[in-house]
Amino acid sequence: MIFYIIRRLLAAIPTLLAVLTLVFLIVRVVPGDPAIAILGDRATPDGIAALHAKLGLDKPIWQQYVDFIGQSLSGDFGRSMVTGRPILTDVGAVLPHTIDLTLASLIVGTVIGVPVGIWAALHRNRFIDYTARLLSLIGLSFPVFVSGIFILLLFALHWRLFPVIGNARLDDPVDRLDKLVLPAATLGLVMAAYITRVTRSAMLSVLGEDYIRTARAKGVPWRRVVWRHALRNAAMPVVTVVGLYIGILIGNSVLTEIVFNRPGLGKIIVGALNQRDYTMLQGLMVIYCFLIVVVNLITDLTYGLIDPRVKQ
Amino acid sequence: MLIRAALAATAIAFTLPAAAQPKTTLNVGIAAQDIGQLDPHFAVSTIDRVLAAWMFNGLVRFPPGSIDPARLEPDLAESWEASPDGKTWTFHLRHGVQFHGGFGELTADDVVFSLKKAGDAKTSAFSSELRPFQTIEAIDPYTVRVVLKENVPSVLGILTNYAQGFIVSKKAVERRGDDFKRNPIGTGPFAFASVTPNQSLELMANQAYFRGAPKINKISYRFMPSDASRDLAFQSGELDLNYGRADQAWVNRTKALPHTIVDVFEPAEEGQLHLNTTVKPLDDIRVRQAIAYAINRPELVRWRGADVSREAQSVVPRGYLGFTTDNGLVGNDVEKAKALLKQAGYADGLTIKMIQSQLPEMLTAAQVFQAQLKRAGISLDLQVVEHATYHQQIRQDLSPVVYYSAARFPVADIYLTQFFHSRSIVKTPTAVTNFSHCDVADKEIDGARVETDKAKQLTLWAEAQKKIVAQVCAVPLFETLLVFARHDNLDYGYKLDGSLSLGPLITEATHFK
Repeated sequence: MIFYIIRRLLAAIPTLLAVLTLVFLIVRVVPGDPAIAILGDRATPDGIAALHAKLGLDKPIWQQYVDFIGQSLSGDFGRSMVTGRPILTDVGAVLPHTIDLTLASLIVGTVIGVPVGIWAALHRNRFIDYTARLLSLIGLSFPVFVSGIFILLLFALHWRLFPVIGNARLDDPVDRLDKLVLPAATLGLVMAAYITRVTRSAMLSVLGEDYIRTARAKGVPWRRVVWRHALRNAAMPVVTVVGLYIGILIGNSVLTEIVFNRPGLGKIIVGALNQRDYTMLQGLMVIYCFLIVVVNLITDLTYGLIDPRVKQ
Repeated sequence: MLIRAALAATAIAFTLPAAAQPKTTLNVGIAAQDIGQLDPHFAVSTIDRVLAAWMFNGLVRFPPGSIDPARLEPDLAESWEASPDGKTWTFHLRHGVQFHGGFGELTADDVVFSLKKAGDAKTSAFSSELRPFQTIEAIDPYTVRVVLKENVPSVLGILTNYAQGFIVSKKAVERRGDDFKRNPIGTGPFAFASVTPNQSLELMANQAYFRGAPKINKISYRFMPSDASRDLAFQSGELDLNYGRADQAWVNRTKALPHTIVDVFEPAEEGQLHLNTTVKPLDDIRVRQAIAYAINRPELVRWRGADVSREAQSVVPRGYLGFTTDNGLVGNDVEKAKALLKQAGYADGLTIKMIQSQLPEMLTAAQVFQAQLKRAGISLDLQVVEHATYHQQIRQDLSPVVYYSAARFPVADIYLTQFFHSRSIVKTPTAVTNFSHCDVADKEIDGARVETDKAKQLTLWAEAQKKIVAQVCAVPLFETLLVFARHDNLDYGYKLDGSLSLGPLITEATHFK
C-alpha cells in the first residue's frame, strides 16, 4: 500500500515538470507586461527597464526557465512580483480557507446528493424523480454569483444570521464555521445537484443488471438488494465524479470566494493573472497541480475500499 | 446536521460582538483583490494611493478635502522661502515629528533621502516628476535646500502629500531594504500594522502624530472585488465607508439607503479619444474633424449620469491651473461630419480599428461613442482585450484610436506634456502616453513650464489647448468624478470636495458621531 502511494507520487513528477514548463511558457506568451501593471500608466521606458532588471525579466528566456525550474525543484517558489511577499506565505494563508470550503461543500453535496439520487432512481419516472431532476437542473443552471447574492440577501441582510464579509479568523473555530456556512451551502447545493444526477443514473444502470434480478429472484429483501448489491456497485462512478469535481472545485471556487469575500486559492490565481504576476502564477500552478495529484490519489485509494477487485 | 449545528453556533457568536461600544474602528471596503505596493513611491493603483495618504506626509499638503494648488499649506515643512529667480527653495522642517514604529525624529536627512529615492527610476514610479531638480541637500537637521535646473509651474506641487512628494524614513528603508514595501514607515496619522493576503490590511492610530492622536483607533481596509457583495456588506453595517461606482443608478440606489451619504468629489478623470495623426485614414485632418463632430458629449453625460459626470470642455480637465474653455472645441453635428468624410473621399463611410479594454466601465463607454460615430458613417472596429493587454498594446502604438481616461496633478503642464508633447510619443525612448503623435504645441508647453510671468504662462497654456483642439489630436469626451459612500455617523472632520489620493483622507480629526 505504502509502496503504491510512493510510486504514484513519483509518477506525478513528470506531470508536475510538464505543468511547470507549460505555465512558464503560457504566462510569457500572454500579452501584457508585469512592469506596466506595477508602475501604472505613467511608467517611463527607463522605469520599465529598471524594473525588468530587478525582476530578472531582462534575462534571456532560457535563463529564466533554468532559474525557475532550479528554484522550484529546491522547493523555493520565490516571491510575488507585485507585493514581494513569499508565495508560500500567501498560499499558506489562504489554503486553509480553500480546504474548508472544498470539504464543507463536498459534505453538503454528498449528504444531499447521494440519498436524493438513490431515491429518484428507485422512483424512476414518478413524481419524486421528476422533482429531484428538476431541482438538480435548477441547481446546476444557477451561476454562483446569482445564487450567492440571493443567499446573502436573505441570510445576511434580511435575517442577519450571517455576516456578508466571510474572511474568517483561522484561530477561532466558531468564527471559521460562522463564515463557512453560506458559501459552503451555495457551493454545496451546486455539487448536490451534480451528485444527484450522477448517483441517479449510476443506480439506474446497476438496477437493470442481471445480478440484481437474480438477487431479487432468490428472495433477498429489496432494501438489502439496494444497499448491498446496487449501491456498492453504483458508488464507483459517483466516487470518480466527486474526485474530479473536487479538483475543479479547488481552483474554480473563485466566484464563491469573490461573492462571499472569502480568501482562497482561486481568487489569488485570478488576481495574479490580472497583474501578470509571473512568479506568483507559476508557484500557484505547481501547488494547484500537486493538490490535484493528491486528490486523484485519494480517489484511487477509495476505489480499493469500495471494490475489492481494484486492490488485486 | 452541519448547517444546523453551525446555525446554533453562529446565533451565539453573533450576539456577542453586538454590545454597544464607542466606535473607534473604521471598516473600509475597496474594490480590489489585494494591496499592491505599500512603498508610497510605487503607489499607482487606486487601492494603494488611498492608503498611502493615510500613512505618509509631504513637505506641504493640500488642506484635507481640497485639491486646489493655490491653497497648499505646511505639512512636514513649517515654512519655506524661494530665491528671487525662483530656482532655490529652502524648507524649514517642523521639529519633533516622529516616525512610526520608533524610527525616531524626522530630520532633513530623511527628506533628502526620500526625494532622491522618489527621483530614481529604480526606486520610484514617479521619477520623471523630479527631473527638474538639480540638487537636494540638507543644510542642517531641520533645513532642506532644493535647487532647480529650470523653472517649473509649481515647485510646491511636486512636494505635496501626493505620489513623489511622500516622505519616508531613511533608517527604515535602509534597514528593511526590499521589505520596506511590505512594512512601510511614515509619519502620518495611521501606521501600518498587518496585512492578511486577499483579505484586509490593518492600520493603527499613530498616537504620536504631530497634529494630535487620531480619534479613530484602527482602520480595517478590506479587499472586496465584488461590487454587489461590497454593497451588501455596507448595507449590513459591516463597512462604514465603501468604494462607490461612478454610475447614476448606483448613486440613486445608495442615496436612498437609510443613514447613508454618497460623496462625489474631485479630481475628475477625463476620458478622451486619442487619434493617431500619422496613420491612414486619421492622418487626414478632415477624418479627425468628422470624428469630433460625430461625438455627442451631452448624450454621453446623460448615459453616465449627471451626478457623477460632466462634459469635457478641453484637452485638459476642468479646474486644472491653465484650463481654458476658449479653445474652439466643436459640438455635435452629424451632417457636418458626413460632409467632411465625403470631402476626404469616404462618402460610403469607413472603418477604424480600436483596441479596447474589457473593463466594464471602459467597454460600455466605448460602445456608446461607437454608436455615436456610427451615425456619421464611421465604424469603430472594437478589438476587446484584457486590461493589462490593452495597456501594453496601446503603448506599442497598435491602436490608431485610443480611449484613455486619466486624472493628473491639477496643473495643465502635466496633462499637456504627458499626452500631447512630442517627447511623450509612445514607442520612443522618452515615451509616456502621447498616443496621437501630437507635436503641434511643443513650443507652448515647454515655454509655459519655465515661464515665471503667471499671466504669460496662462496665455501659453491656452494657446497650446487651441492648437491641439484645432489639430484634433484628441476628442474630449466626458469627465467622471470619484464616488464613495459612508454611513452618516462617520464624520471626516473636514468638508470633502476633492482628494488627490482618490479616496477620502482619514485624518486625526475623523471620528464617529
